[in-house]
Amino acid sequence: MIGVWGALAGALVLLLVLLAWLRAEASSKDSRSDWGEADQEQSESVEACSPEIVSQLFSAADSKFISGLESPGLENLFRRERTAVALHWVQETSAFINKIMRRHLEASRLSADLEIAEEARTFLQYARLKLYCGILFVLIGLLGPQRLAGTALYAERFIQRVGEGLVEFQLAARLPEPDGSESL
Amino acid sequence: MSAMVKPLPVQEAYEDLLQRSLSRIPCDLGRLLYLASTRDYNTGNYHHDGLADRFSVKVARSALEIAHRQAFYKVAALSLEELVRDLAAYLESSRENPEEFLRTWQRLEPYRIAIPMEVNPTVARLFASNVRLALAVLRLRQSTHADR
Repeated sequence: MIGVWGALAGALVLLLVLLAWLRAEASSKDSRSDWGEADQEQSESVEACSPEIVSQLFSAADSKFISGLESPGLENLFRRERTAVALHWVQETSAFINKIMRRHLEASRLSADLEIAEEARTFLQYARLKLYCGILFVLIGLLGPQRLAGTALYAERFIQRVGEGLVEFQLAARLPEPDGSESL
Repeated sequence: MSAMVKPLPVQEAYEDLLQRSLSRIPCDLGRLLYLASTRDYNTGNYHHDGLADRFSVKVARSALEIAHRQAFYKVAALSLEELVRDLAAYLESSRENPEEFLRTWQRLEPYRIAIPMEVNPTVARLFASNVRLALAVLRLRQSTHADR
């Protein structure tokens, strides 16, 4: 009996997640068509979003300001606008993580002293970040961005930390060998 | 021997721009739009006659580009309440009919040209979205005011 209820609850949760995903996808598609491909080209070349902007995007103060105006139409517009921008941020962040990982793999190929444990750790960090992005995407679709400020900022700081670590690794991999030393 | 640090030409031009031109504009949005207007739509290059005469075309271009990016990031980081205040100040300084101004800005979205090249796409979106919201807030205030 518990098995049947458990399966039903599981199916319900799965359905909710699927609905949230579809809703989030629809919002992000709306905003994507608004800005076109130039935006995607740009995200390949520019830096990650700063923490100040992330906290501004997920700010509860703006939500409070809009609520204070007591206009349901304006509140709806605010929710739609912020959700679309927040979902775009998640997608951009996810693409940024992919880019960092791609560069890391290129640097790994050039590296003479590759450490398997270090590589496994990096891969786990990459997988964790991608998972964060996936969860954030669904949660933003379900709850809206204002309740997720802490999670978003945590993800942003984590990405920056991992990104800096990987850049150091890339630089180290490209450094010329010191005089007299032999490479493997 | 005293070590005198001579400012770089671009930095000098930037400070000149701040003192002579930008300090006269009363709001952040106004400064941003002014700086965006010094950019050629076709080439993306910046030009300012006075600044180019005092320094050089190249130095003036760099100073304008830096000032534009800084002004943009400043406006993008404003809270919605601050942006509404800033937009209201810009509207007032324009001396246009407020109703017409708001309607035109909502339709044409001229603020989109204020976005510098190669800024983070999320910041660009947040900026445009915030201006849209600020316009909606001002229109709401205007209609509430008219109803009274």
